[in-house]
Amino acid sequence: MNQPVKRKSPFRGVGLLVITTILVYVLNKPMGGLPAIGGLLDPVSGCLANAEPVNKNFSADLKFPVKQNATVWFDDRMVPHIHAANDHDLYFLEGYIHASFRLWQMDMETRAAAGRVSEVVGEKALNFDRRQRRKGMIYAAENSLRVMEADPRTKLIGDAYTEGINSYISSLCYRDYPLEYKLMGFAPEKWTNLKSALLLKYMADDLTGGTDDIALTYLRDVLPKEEFELLYPKRISGATPAIPAGTVFDKPSLAIPAAPPDSIAFPHFKATDFGEKREDGKGSNNWAISGARTASGAPILCNDPHLGLNLPSLWYEVQMQTPAMNVYGVSLPGTPGVVIGFNDSLSWGFTNNYRDVKDFYLIKPVADNKNRYWFAGKQLDFNKRVEHILVKGKPEIIDTIDYTIHGPVTYEAQNAKDGSLRKPLAMCWMGHRGTNEMLAIYLMNKAKSYPEFVDAIMNFQCPAQNMVYADRQGNIAMWGQGQFVNQWKDQGRYVMDGSDSATLWGQLIPMRENPHVLNPGQGYLCSANQATTDSSYPYNYTNSGWVDFRAWRINELLKNMPKATINDMFRMQNDTHSLLAETVLPVMLKYSKDLKGDNIDVLKKWDYNLESESKAAVIFQLWWKSLYRNVWQGKFGNVPDDLLPLPERTMQLMLNDTLARVLYGDKAGVLSYSDYFQALVVSSYNEVFDSSEKLKTPWYKVKNTTVTHLTKIAAFSYDHLKTGGWGNTINAMKGDHGPSWRMVVQMGKEIEAYGVYPGGQSGNPGSKYYADFLEKWAEGKYNKLEFLPNSDKQSDSAVKYVWNVHG
Amino acid sequence: MKFLLSVILIALLAMGAEHFLPWWSVAVVSFLVSVLISQKPGRAFLSGFCGIGIFWLITALRHDVANDHILSTRMAALFHLPNYGLFIGVTVLIGGLVGGLSAWAGALMRSRA
Repeated sequence: MNQPVKRKSPFRGVGLLVITTILVYVLNKPMGGLPAIGGLLDPVSGCLANAEPVNKNFSADLKFPVKQNATVWFDDRMVPHIHAANDHDLYFLEGYIHASFRLWQMDMETRAAAGRVSEVVGEKALNFDRRQRRKGMIYAAENSLRVMEADPRTKLIGDAYTEGINSYISSLCYRDYPLEYKLMGFAPEKWTNLKSALLLKYMADDLTGGTDDIALTYLRDVLPKEEFELLYPKRISGATPAIPAGTVFDKPSLAIPAAPPDSIAFPHFKATDFGEKREDGKGSNNWAISGARTASGAPILCNDPHLGLNLPSLWYEVQMQTPAMNVYGVSLPGTPGVVIGFNDSLSWGFTNNYRDVKDFYLIKPVADNKNRYWFAGKQLDFNKRVEHILVKGKPEIIDTIDYTIHGPVTYEAQNAKDGSLRKPLAMCWMGHRGTNEMLAIYLMNKAKSYPEFVDAIMNFQCPAQNMVYADRQGNIAMWGQGQFVNQWKDQGRYVMDGSDSATLWGQLIPMRENPHVLNPGQGYLCSANQATTDSSYPYNYTNSGWVDFRAWRINELLKNMPKATINDMFRMQNDTHSLLAETVLPVMLKYSKDLKGDNIDVLKKWDYNLESESKAAVIFQLWWKSLYRNVWQGKFGNVPDDLLPLPERTMQLMLNDTLARVLYGDKAGVLSYSDYFQALVVSSYNEVFDSSEKLKTPWYKVKNTTVTHLTKIAAFSYDHLKTGGWGNTINAMKGDHGPSWRMVVQMGKEIEAYGVYPGGQSGNPGSKYYADFLEKWAEGKYNKLEFLPNSDKQSDSAVKYVWNVHG
Repeated sequence: MKFLLSVILIALLAMGAEHFLPWWSVAVVSFLVSVLISQKPGRAFLSGFCGIGIFWLITALRHDVANDHILSTRMAALFHLPNYGLFIGVTVLIGGLVGGLSAWAGALMRSRA
């Protein structure tokens, strides 16, 4: 008989049980911005499950719903080389592989495109989501989806690609989710063809998103006509267009429409919206050199598209083979095919074309009926599109968007933020139309000759791109490609009156009449976001952001390079020579003879290269920035940078006294122009270098090139990368934008190709392949691209892992 | 002996449970084991702490060493911890605490019965 001496309180056990349960509950619940800590730390299924062994053997035998056996070879950089017997199997495998290495990124990018970010991050993304919806992103993707699915080729590859992604997703349990899902507390959802379409529209929006229309509408009103044309020329003098001057264009098949009178076409603003910022020197470079001007005798093609620098990288390297195709390059996870690259016959690269494909219309609502607006003297009903925005932890938001004959009303009085336009503007965008870029990419990948390549790109409608081309037969070519409207002069340069039918978009220009050139006499071609053509091109067109420094520099280098080598190309892509500095610094120094000191001495000895370690680069960049701002601030008052004349134009006006005349016209006579200007140059210098601490720091630290994880988590990102250059140098390395993929391909008997992008093949921050190219990229070095022969056996020593795929 | 048996049993059963169930199954396992094996509450806590702690430590180290600490270093930075060791330490501590408290509660429940 063991009688306990002391009876314990029965509630002690229950109390502790409750406490323990609460602890577990708390650890299992996301709080504030933090994920559920218990699940995240659990080493079995939490974040540590994403710690990929550094010597992981990726080789596997896999069973998939493929029609025939296939093989995937991974090389030592984890680039997959997919060999399949047919298109279905090939694109299935590409989808499966994209998902295996980049699933979370594909998910987030398509969510961003569709305005579905709040669904996973909560209210803080609501404004972003609302903007995406108002731009009509889902509407655009749905239109493209219809076109894609109507074509049997894109239906087949789109379906196979989606099937591959879903096959991967359905194999996952929580443990296998990419780390970011665990951190953000959501789960992958099924892929659809719509998502692939959304991703393509995401790129279209990124590349045709900016607009000068609203700003120019305002400026045109406030500046005298002559001065407006002087400061904002449609085509800068001395431009070196992508399609070289002197190219003879075919007679246009369409009549050029006459412009309606200004009073009908364009409304006037006082209050203004300058929401969309122009980034100085955002863009890309591509060029091709004919065999006559290379040391090897084979053409060379180079491309470096400048895009946002993020991790996981936008690009994913891949080689894809079927009996009918052997292509290598970079793909966009989320959409099938190779976007930029080369196949066994030809190579191609893209830069943004910037020909205007997005216009704004001022909508005149019917006074006492908010369901109607005026058009051509009649009242029309808005098409209402109801957007449901799911918000994590909050009730769903319903936004009704008015669609007009021009497009969705993107800006609206009630949504206007402080200082933005308080008038309803509808957006008319080529991207809203159903377009099939997926087909263009598919056909480009398979093309065997120049005519086949041209046929392929006739399907590439938006975003408009300058497409450079070089093939093994020795041809080089450039196309300013996209779907454009036959505009009357200045149509769409400013916001248009949406109530008049004369402003409507007219006929589409047949795409074969787009500016292009094959094997020009000069032996090389280059595009770097400058004007596409000279003024002899028969159709009217306006632009939304041409810049010229890089184009001038590339043309100058190529012109003086009679025997180009691959090493020359590496040097060119990493060139940090500032033409701006070379041109304006002597002028600035001339006007500031009174300034003395180390800084000035350093500048006088400078070679105008924005090298990573350069201190002169810092002095110049800061001085110029201050001067540029001061020059225009006096003229326009305190306006955002994106309203100011381009640095290119500012520089040109500065070389004689035009600038001073524009700035001080009415004060002339009291002092000379140069006296005024001298004071401005000196005070701009003194503003920056009175108390600047940045002087001791090298250029790379000042500009701080960062490659940021899409979540912005610093622990997954890299900053202060040691890089030179700026947006206006060929090596367009800015803070968060830069060369997202550098490629050099020599199209000889043997194709020799090099490339590098700022990231790595794996999207997993716990993988050694997450950012393993980053250092090379920052240093301007390249990976050799292993272009394997089209065969079902490989003996290349670079092959490291093999997937044997069975049906 | 009972202590060692508890620790081993908790570790092994938790390993089995986590194969099928979410992470909080370690709490259930610790609780049940100490309901079944009678121990003083203090020793029960320790056996739960050690059982889950050791299981999580071994699992974490297995992942982390093979990974050259790439992920744990990033996670440590994310949580503002000075190094990956501390991140693993926090992991083990949380697992141990959950295991220990559950086992303690189990022991008290048993002494009620």
